[in-house]
Formats: sequence, structure tokens, C-alpha cells
Amino acid sequence: MRMSSGWAGGLSRLLPLTMVLAAWQAASISGVLPKTVLPSFGDVAVALGALVRSGEIIPHTLASFARAGAGFLIAVAGGIALGILMARVRVVERAVEPILLLIYPVPKPALIPLFMIWLGIGDFSKVAVIALACLLPVVIAAFNGARSVDDMLLWSARARGTSERRLLWRVVLPAALPQIAAGVRTAIAIAIIVLVSSEFISAETGLGYLIFSYGGVGADDAMLAVVIYLAVLGYLLDRFYLAGLRRLMAWHAFAH
Amino acid sequence: MPSLTRHPRLVAGLTRVVPIALVLLAWELVTRAGWVNPFVFPPVSEIVIRWVALFVDGSVYRPLWDTLWRALLGLGAAIAVGVPLGLLMGRVHWAQWFFEPLFSFSFPLPKIALIPLYVHWFGLFSLSKVMLIFTDCLFPVVIFTYHGARGLSPIYLWSAQSRGTGRLRMLWRVVLPLSLASIYDGVQVAVVVAVLVAVVSEMVSGGGGLGQMMIRAYRFGDVRTAFATLLTISLIGYALYRAAQWLRGRLLFWHVTDS
Repeated sequence: MRMSSGWAGGLSRLLPLTMVLAAWQAASISGVLPKTVLPSFGDVAVALGALVRSGEIIPHTLASFARAGAGFLIAVAGGIALGILMARVRVVERAVEPILLLIYPVPKPALIPLFMIWLGIGDFSKVAVIALACLLPVVIAAFNGARSVDDMLLWSARARGTSERRLLWRVVLPAALPQIAAGVRTAIAIAIIVLVSSEFISAETGLGYLIFSYGGVGADDAMLAVVIYLAVLGYLLDRFYLAGLRRLMAWHAFAH
Repeated sequence: MPSLTRHPRLVAGLTRVVPIALVLLAWELVTRAGWVNPFVFPPVSEIVIRWVALFVDGSVYRPLWDTLWRALLGLGAAIAVGVPLGLLMGRVHWAQWFFEPLFSFSFPLPKIALIPLYVHWFGLFSLSKVMLIFTDCLFPVVIFTYHGARGLSPIYLWSAQSRGTGRLRMLWRVVLPLSLASIYDGVQVAVVVAVLVAVVSEMVSGGGGLGQMMIRAYRFGDVRTAFATLLTISLIGYALYRAAQWLRGRLLFWHVTDS
């Protein structure tokens, strides 16, 4: 029953995807699926090749990457610090938790118009919304992770005279890392969603802008090419993150 | 102190309200003192007044209704399609073989990126939005249902099988009820997704709703209405989430929660 064993398992997983793509191509060629409705898979692949070879997609990739990356990094740094402080310092928890609960139910992309009024339609407003949207999963993960640190670890560190500040940095943070890692992974996915939403609403660069402008002129093959490119990029980002994590956490039981 | 400890819930509630009240008070004072441009950052009280005014003059009802029914219809369709599909994937080998890779490969795609394609297929108005909400909600519903149905203890299945239960009846009468807790976790996620996608698609492609109301307020530089609309959107999201939670308690009263 286990299917994911080595290459054979990988191929068996790719087969359904290949079947769907082949059916898509066959339907386009035979005319069952008119190209005005959906360009053929071949056309999309050719368009993607052209976008990459001409280098047109590269500045847009970089623009998107810079926005999402800046917001994401702010959220990760701020979120870990805030989450750990909340878990270890009672006053911080009392003060911050209700405010986080207040922000929690707000669908973050709905903040984009407000942030555009405050920070303009440029990159600042996009980075700010991405940072805020990514912050919550990281804070919650860091808070839960830091709160469930084994007391034995803290006691033994204190017994050796570790200062409280050093304790946060050298004991609590490493012990909370597995939970933080899961929150950061959620933040990656959220960053991409909010990025695309904000670039749809207002931008002159970026992958979201590219999708929207190709869609607007009816260049469906190029539009779908960018959509697929974005999906592959998101997938690779997640894979790289997991692979990096496995190396970073080799010492931890969680990595097996 | 004894009078305080006798109402621990009240005290806990108060300590939660205090930080929020302080933030709102600081906001009100800073804006009233004129330290920030009131046009860009209005006092809280004026936002609340505008929020009430939108309900009193009735201009919020139509967008509210548009967003709500789109979100609920898309969510309902995702449940109607996603639950049977997830059950099938969890219990039938070929369905798992075919669909599981498709879902896991398309999972990282931000479904919001499909807005232009859906507008092309289903038009600018409600249909394209409902279809996008359906697509986005389908993922959590299918994935949670699939994992619920796959992880069942075989003992239940054997005992039903030994009584001669047919395969279809088995899915409906045994696998579905046993997977309900997991399905409901998926629905909880999907409720949040539905409101989010409804609002974003309305912001991007118009066609009424609270999302468009926000963008329009932005274009007119009307921060008060933008804020009031954001408040309405958040309340809808929260209300739907709590409603789903309440319904879960009602439907799963017989279920022993693990945690």
C-alpha cells in the first residue's frame, strides 16, 4: 500500500499529473477545448519558455521576491522575538495577546486599501501588509513553542548560573524551534497569497502584476505560464525550506 | 481580594479588555490632539460613527449580502463536492492514486492568481467569484476529509463488513460519520478562506460586495468608510467562524474529542 518508496513511487505520483496534462493537450488539439477558452498546454509551455529565455520574467520575479521577502523577514524576526517574550514575560503576554486576538479575524488582504492610503501605493504598503499577515502564525508558533519548553532545561541552565537574557537566546529559542519552524512554513504560503493579492490591486511590476496584465489583454497562454511559474516557485520554496530545516535541526529528535 | 477571586472569569475578561481599551484610547487622544493628519488617520470614535451610519442609512446591506452569499455558496459547493471526493480518496485505492498527487501538486498554487482566468471563463460578476471561492475552499475540505477517512480504525470497518454492509453504504453510514470531526476541521479552515477570497476577488474585479466597497472608499480617499468596511468584513469572518464552531458542537455532540 505504501506508494512513496523511491523512484517508482515518485513516478507513480507523477503519472496522474501527466495524464491530466496529456488529456488537456489532446482536448486542445482535437478542438474539443477551443483555444479561446483555454490555450493548449503546449502553448503555455512555449510561452513560459519565451518568458524565461527573453529574461522578461526576471525583473518581475525579483520585484515580487523583494516585497514578499522583506515582509516575511520582518515578520519572522519580530514574530519570534514577540512570541518568546510573550511566553516568558507575563506582562507582555497580558498586553499583547488581546491585541493579537483582535487582529486575528481580520482577513489581511482586506487591509491593502487602508495601507495604500497610509503608506502610498508603492512597495511600503505591500511589505507592511505582508509583514502583518505573516506575523500572526509566527508569533503564535513561537509563543506555544516557548511556553512548552521543558522546565528541566530551564532549571539546569539556571543552576549553572545562566542569566535570564542568555536563557531566552540559548535555551528557550532552540527548544521552541520545531514549533517556530511550522509557523514559518505557514508564513511562506501566506506571504505569497498576500503578495499576489496586493500586486493585483496596484503594481507596475511583480508576478501578480504580470498575470493581471496578460489576463487583461487576453494573452491567456502567457498568463497561465506565469501562474504555473509562480506555483512551481512556491513549491520549490517550500521544498528548499524543508530541506534546509532538516539540516538545521539534525540534532533535534523531530528530524528523526 | 476574595471578591475578585470569586469571579475569575470576570477578572480574566477585564484584563483582556484593558490593553485593547488602552490602545483605542491612545489612538483617540493622538488623533484628537492633531498629531496626525485626521484625513489619513481619523479618531476611532469617528470610525465607529461611520460604521453605525452605514447600517442606519442602509448602504452597507447590499454589499454585505453580496459578499455573504458568494462566500457561503462557494463554501457550500466545496463541501458538497469535497466531502464525497475526500471520502473516496480515503477509502478507494485508485481514487487516492489519481487525486492525491493532483491535490498535493496544485496545493502551493495561490488560487487567487486564477482570478483573471476565472473572469475570462465565468465573467466579471458573481459566477467567477463563487467559482474561485469553491476552488480555494475545495482544498482544505478534500485534504481534511481524506486524512480523516484514511486514518479510521479498521475495527469499525471490519465489524460493518462482517454484517454484510455494501461498499457505498459503508462510505455513507460508517466512514462519513467517523470522519466528521476531521471534516469539520477542514470546514473551519475553509470558512476563513471563503470570506478572504470573496473580499479579494471583489477588490480585484469589482462586481459589488464589501471588497469593492473598500476599493471605492480608497479611491475617494474616504478612510472612515474604508475602516468601517474592514470592521464589517472582519465581523462577518468572525461570525461565520463562530457559527461553524457552534454547528460543530451541535453535530458532533456524540463525538469524543481526542484532546
